[in-house]
Amino acid sequence: MARKVRVTVDHNVCVGNAMCETIAPKVFVLNAQRQSEAVDPEGDTVEKILDAAENCPVSAIIVEDAETGERLFP
Amino acid sequence: MRTSTNDDMFTPDVIADPYTYYGRLREEDPVHWNEKYALWVVTSYDDVVWLTRHHELFSSAVFRNDPRPPYPDIDESDLGLYEYVRNYQADQFIQHDRPEHLEMRKVVHGYFTPKSTEAWRPFVQSAIRDLLDEAEAKGRMDVMRDFATPLPVLVIAQMMGVPRQDRPYVRHLAEKLLNIGRGERDRMRPLTEGMQGMIDYVSPLVDERIVNPGDDFISVLAQGEKAGVFTRHQVLVNTSLLLLAGHETTINLLCNGTLAFIRHPEQWEWLKQDPAGRTVRATEECLRYDAPVKSIQRIASQDVEIHGKLLRRDDRIRWFISSANRDPKAFAVPETFDVTRHPNPHVAFGSGIHHCLGASLARLEGQEAFKALAERFPKLHLETEALEYQPSITFRSLKSLPVTWN
Repeated sequence: MARKVRVTVDHNVCVGNAMCETIAPKVFVLNAQRQSEAVDPEGDTVEKILDAAENCPVSAIIVEDAETGERLFP
Repeated sequence: MRTSTNDDMFTPDVIADPYTYYGRLREEDPVHWNEKYALWVVTSYDDVVWLTRHHELFSSAVFRNDPRPPYPDIDESDLGLYEYVRNYQADQFIQHDRPEHLEMRKVVHGYFTPKSTEAWRPFVQSAIRDLLDEAEAKGRMDVMRDFATPLPVLVIAQMMGVPRQDRPYVRHLAEKLLNIGRGERDRMRPLTEGMQGMIDYVSPLVDERIVNPGDDFISVLAQGEKAGVFTRHQVLVNTSLLLLAGHETTINLLCNGTLAFIRHPEQWEWLKQDPAGRTVRATEECLRYDAPVKSIQRIASQDVEIHGKLLRRDDRIRWFISSANRDPKAFAVPETFDVTRHPNPHVAFGSGIHHCLGASLARLEGQEAFKALAERFPKLHLETEALEYQPSITFRSLKSLPVTWN
């Protein structure tokens, strides 16, 4: 079974660059402040989520293993 | 209102100290119609963030979408040259809106992520070591000429695979391009010379990388042409854009930050106690306190009302980083240079979909530069108090910064 992840976006840091939304649009959606919200951590593959996190220009996306809590990014 | 009677943003006092002038505007008239240049001046933090994140309302295609002559006025005989400048600027990827902007940004975005940029840290450290070795042997330096300029030029030229012996020539062209954002009536000639010179210079490099792509950044852009995202002219223009943007703003970060430390000895002390551990936050505060870029322009895509002011479609709008970063509604004691400040959500790199592509690289260069200066020249001080800034509303650029450490 595929690994499940917990995804959070640090709103102290997020600048609304929206690259995450482009890469994994079912996971990341911009809110009314135009900052990213991780709405569904199962919306796209873990690979895509990690790609989105890596492409965040300010490293605002934190990805952890949902079961073990292991930090996968950054 | 006092401020509306003085709409000249190029006067020596506003150039020397933009914070007083734009700070007063922020308090008295945060969405201000500047009569002299016929444009809106937006100065509050919240408005700047809101504006930059609503790219569908405020177009970045300010050259393509604006048929009016440039401001401030230029010599009438230079209007033909301005057409060249318009066409050149319009092909920059930062001068596009969605959907084209996204496709263009995707070509270059991966090269500049925090993770990709991190790989350059050892190169940056070694370049800093060499430059400061040279300075140390002399016992003094002009931070601008001897450190802040060569460092980012070395880095971006290395990324682009520009031969070492060409780097002074690239810098010479870049200096002509700095006429962007200035007010002199005759600025079009040096500007077009710089643009044409850049195109001529990068053209054979691009030709070569299209045939033999490598892992350098020009090859990344050349791939954009193969993928049908960029025209050849766009590849050339964007290569020269990144060659310029990749160093000009970093020069200002290094100079303005160094000056801030010299003017605030207690903050310098604090950094020196643990340069490696404290340089990250210190760099963020340098970016906030005296940001490399003062203002950026947009053009309204439709009528928009902000705080009861009606911005009409096609109106010019300039948003001021130097004011937003000092807004007391966003930062406690904003006029204080406090390198422990955290969080520090400054807008030195803008915000939204156009957030500075090279932000991670600029941060890395700033972090390593301030750390190295603190470690090697703890007694850093000015050789003169007579400092001057370039007369630009875009860049916050010192002309020189002579220092010594004995």
